[in-house]
Amino acid sequence: MKLLKPSWVSHNGKPIFSVDIHPDGTKFATGGQGEDSGKVMIWNMAPVLREEDEKNENIPKMLCQMDNHLACVNCVRWSNNGLYLASGGDDKLVMVWKRAAFIGPSTVFGSSSKLANVEQWRCVTILRNHTGDVMDVAWSPHDVWLASCSVDNTIVIWNARKFPEMVTCLRGHTGLVKGLTWDPVGKYIASQADDHSLKVWRTMDWQLETNITKPFSECGGTTHVLRLSWSPDGQYLVSAHAMNNSGPTAQIVERDGWKTNMDFVGHRKAVTVVKFNPKIFKKKQKNGGSPKPSCPYCCCAVGSKDRSLSVWLTSLKRPLVVIHDLFDKSIMDISWTLTGLGILVCSMDGTVAYLDFSLDELGDPLNEEEKNTIHQNIYGKSLAITSTEAQLSTTIIENPEMLKYQQERQNAAQAGSGPGGAGLESTAPKLNSVMNGESLEDIRKNLLKKQVETRTADGRRRITPLCIAQLDTGDFSPALFNSVPILPGSSMPSQLTPQLSSDSSQGQASSLGLRPSHDTLLTSPPPSSSTKGLEDNKDGQSPTHVKQSLLLTSASKIEPMKALDSRFTERSKATPGVTAVISSTAGLTPLDSRAKDGSSILKDVKNKEETSSDSEDKMAAINKNLSFTKRKADLLMDGGEVVEKRKKGRPRKDKMATPISQPFTQVETEGPSRAAATPAPVAALKLPTPSIQKAFSLQVSMEPSVFLEVENDVSVVAGSKLSQLRCSRDGREWDTLLPSSVVTAAGSSDVIAVACEDRMLSVFSSCGRRLLPAIQLATPMSALHCSSHFVMALTAGARLSVWDVQKQTALVKNESLLTIMSGADTTVSQSLLTQQGVPVIGLSSGKSYCFNSSLETWTLIADKGDSLVQCADFRSCLPSHDAPVSSGPLAVMQGRNLNAGRLASRLSSTPHHLQQSMTLAFLENQLAAALTLLSAQEYRYWLLIYARFLVNEGSEYRLRELCKELLGPVHKSAATAWEPTTLGLRKRELLRELLPVIGQNLRFQRLFTEYQEQLELLRNK
Amino acid sequence: MAKVQVLNVAVLDNPSPFGNPFQFEITFECMEDLPEDLEWKIIYVGSAESEEYDQTLDSVLVGPVPAGRHMFVFQADAPNTGLIPESDAVGVTVVLITCTYRGQEFIRIGYYVNNEYTDPELRENPPLKPDYTQLQRNILASNPRVTRFHINWEGSADRMEDSENVDPAPNISGMLPPSCIPGKVPPLGLMPDNSMDCM
Repeated sequence: MKLLKPSWVSHNGKPIFSVDIHPDGTKFATGGQGEDSGKVMIWNMAPVLREEDEKNENIPKMLCQMDNHLACVNCVRWSNNGLYLASGGDDKLVMVWKRAAFIGPSTVFGSSSKLANVEQWRCVTILRNHTGDVMDVAWSPHDVWLASCSVDNTIVIWNARKFPEMVTCLRGHTGLVKGLTWDPVGKYIASQADDHSLKVWRTMDWQLETNITKPFSECGGTTHVLRLSWSPDGQYLVSAHAMNNSGPTAQIVERDGWKTNMDFVGHRKAVTVVKFNPKIFKKKQKNGGSPKPSCPYCCCAVGSKDRSLSVWLTSLKRPLVVIHDLFDKSIMDISWTLTGLGILVCSMDGTVAYLDFSLDELGDPLNEEEKNTIHQNIYGKSLAITSTEAQLSTTIIENPEMLKYQQERQNAAQAGSGPGGAGLESTAPKLNSVMNGESLEDIRKNLLKKQVETRTADGRRRITPLCIAQLDTGDFSPALFNSVPILPGSSMPSQLTPQLSSDSSQGQASSLGLRPSHDTLLTSPPPSSSTKGLEDNKDGQSPTHVKQSLLLTSASKIEPMKALDSRFTERSKATPGVTAVISSTAGLTPLDSRAKDGSSILKDVKNKEETSSDSEDKMAAINKNLSFTKRKADLLMDGGEVVEKRKKGRPRKDKMATPISQPFTQVETEGPSRAAATPAPVAALKLPTPSIQKAFSLQVSMEPSVFLEVENDVSVVAGSKLSQLRCSRDGREWDTLLPSSVVTAAGSSDVIAVACEDRMLSVFSSCGRRLLPAIQLATPMSALHCSSHFVMALTAGARLSVWDVQKQTALVKNESLLTIMSGADTTVSQSLLTQQGVPVIGLSSGKSYCFNSSLETWTLIADKGDSLVQCADFRSCLPSHDAPVSSGPLAVMQGRNLNAGRLASRLSSTPHHLQQSMTLAFLENQLAAALTLLSAQEYRYWLLIYARFLVNEGSEYRLRELCKELLGPVHKSAATAWEPTTLGLRKRELLRELLPVIGQNLRFQRLFTEYQEQLELLRNK
Repeated sequence: MAKVQVLNVAVLDNPSPFGNPFQFEITFECMEDLPEDLEWKIIYVGSAESEEYDQTLDSVLVGPVPAGRHMFVFQADAPNTGLIPESDAVGVTVVLITCTYRGQEFIRIGYYVNNEYTDPELRENPPLKPDYTQLQRNILASNPRVTRFHINWEGSADRMEDSENVDPAPNISGMLPPSCIPGKVPPLGLMPDNSMDCM
């Protein structure tokens, strides 16, 4: 054992309360008292480890100091991934620091050069909740949570993925809480307080698991901190200050039954800090000696107020080493290096000591695999995901490319490289991007001329400063993905459009109420007279009444719907302009459930509506509200083909949101509108059809902007009525006449399709040329979509057709929906056509299907009730930079399911291997779905996640098969069925993208090398 | 915690004739978007004897200031010679750059300025009435004196009591040109008794 006290690690003689070594071992942080504030300092580890580095003037010792805490800093802790540093202090604050990537070394302006901050660490968030000094902070395994404890007797759990969100506040201690430790398995968190108790809390429900008081009852006196620690195998929890027979001890608490039979005895004064070595050890095999299997053991360091430090192995009855008089004052904190061989100790006297052990002294550290095996055996889950890097740190890297990826990964993980200025190169591009490639020098030369100077109203000069670097404040951007509660389909309105013909996606601010009316879903036909009455009165409701009814309905909702509905109600009251969101959410909500619940309020609604007055001018404003109510009404009537009499022309809203394009103007109709009178054919299923309006218009494409206007019965020629279809495309207009009333219309930038009352479907080019002869349909049109050069028709007879207008072929031939709509009450809740001509049908059961024309079958692409979705946890595999693909058809159909893993965040609720399998199954489903939807972008997105997951979980067979498939045969042979592309993506390009991912896990370096070489070989060919 | 940190001030056009405008290129960093503008001032200390000879050369609002690192050039006209006591025209004086947010000063940067004749003849026998056209202004750019104050960034309410005075170079006389008389040099820091080293 070597012992060293680096004198240069100091806070100018002020106490150092906390020390923590960065997970990568290159630096460490200290926290304590500053001059008139708290102080956090980050130090270079190299000069501690090597004497030559200590003497080398060019190697910085201090990397950064932060004086931001207003009062003494009691605790500093690195996150497990090393990206963040959390500090807690007497100013009641917890600050979370992140390295500012774009800034290189700089001096503090106006100070002498020696005080240069080599690294810049920026406070990215301040967590305020405690009402007293924060004594300890701790990151949970996987960095999901950050816990902080305080003299205000509470422990606060913060959501580390979404700072500054608070998860919960644990109350129960009746004294100052002075120490925290997480169970390495993630199931518990333990705290020790001055109230003579140690409490263990469950992370599942944040309730108290056990309260241990006996060993602490005699504890008098106070220590500044009570830093307890959990053993790396999770089996033992060791407390700080406890008493046994009037002697100070560190109490060992067994996980099994929370038994307190053992303790570490020997310190003469209270134990302030206990810290387990992160490694598990086994006896070192002596050369030549018979390899006796020995029990693995843990190693623990104990620091005390008596200024001495003891290091224990759980396999020995006596301490491995005791060091007295190391400091002049109490030991405050201990930190092990991740290798388990080094230890830093800090003291109230303001100094720090470093102890270096050898393998001979401690034993052979188990590698991560063995450690995981232990975890697996004890808990049925391994912690492999987090610990791959540590585990492989000793593996020899055989391949230079591999080395590159490993290094890149490290760099990325640290947001720059280790100490020294080497981080500059990697950060330079960021700076440039802000400045459009201009160098700082160029900018400075012309700054005076270029800068914008204005005069304020009172004549003062005002300069707009030139922003030369943006703050990387998107630090917690991964949270964006989880932050908005994604309601079914709510991801749709903001993005997309080009990808889909589904118009619920078109984020136009038109109201639902203005949609062309559709009959609602029906499995049983005709309407009753009472519903007619209801319908008739719909037009004149006053807003208040509508709101009331809305409130009523939402109150009577079943539980899962509540969130959506209350949101809806709120929104529609407050801002009528947000309907785009609402329309899609509403459209996608399975509605069956509320039919039952809502029936009781039917009368209320009806009464209110009947008493309402006609106020035409208010209507526009209330349309949104109205539509919702109507939807309710439609539903309560169990659909039915409602004949709209006395109509003022505001069509009923289609409750199923069969996404027909949204009309954006409204034309007055006169006289009774016709019923969609076509008799239903003899079919088991019947889908709702839109009813005919006098006129309507809609926008079918944003870019170029294409508007359609339809006016029925424009003129009567020889006894037959003609309808006019007018189209305006980027300002240019064309029109055409049709011999029958137009029921519905749709279009894309390439084609326009209209369905007429006489069941004829006509297709026109964007310039008005008829592209196909009129197509006779067997039953009336239920939903019509166009996308790119594809036309999709869903008829009332529940049959689906898709034509490729360009090739003049049918992709889907009159396919029945019977297969997928087998359930009793299933109705079509959404239909859309992708850019690639794949028809997608969303059902009220939450399932979505698309028709795969090459397999000629219906394929399931999304199932909202799928338990896999709930439990799959692939968050660790999400790309950190790319936003999730939310615009693809898969994302649209799955809606909130993209939020997968919500339940999975309850780390230990499902056994790890089960969750792993679920995640794998889920990801494979996603891949297959993206493939069948021909959604290349989404396929690539999920493929990368899938690969990342395989790499993290170490599933070599699958990974190998995947690579093999992507690589294809290296040598050309005639009989190969291998396609070089999938969905237009070159498979080998995909493989090239995967390689860096594979390269991140050293375990796969052989695989990496193999495929990298083959790719190189192929490229050179 | 200060939301705005001054990272650097570069003195441009230095040394220069006395009549040239002052130019400071200021680089600062802001932790979060500031809802209000920063106000910067250049103050020329006309005489060490009394504050009444201080001239505010210019004040300028700087904004909007989003989170990030920013720079701008603050240019202000040379001092009005009519307001400078003749005896203080030649020699060492001070120019101050201050920045306030919501009316509270949070940083004060001071530079020593040495005004002298370039012509050796004039230097030997300075005219009784200073000839400003012949004077050269030399700002000792390498030795800024920075004083930082804790302010209430959230509101303009009462100023926080504790202030931090950063005085990185305690050896004041060492930085002065040998020709000047130390007693005459005006104090740069506001509260020298509170002064301390950055460490």
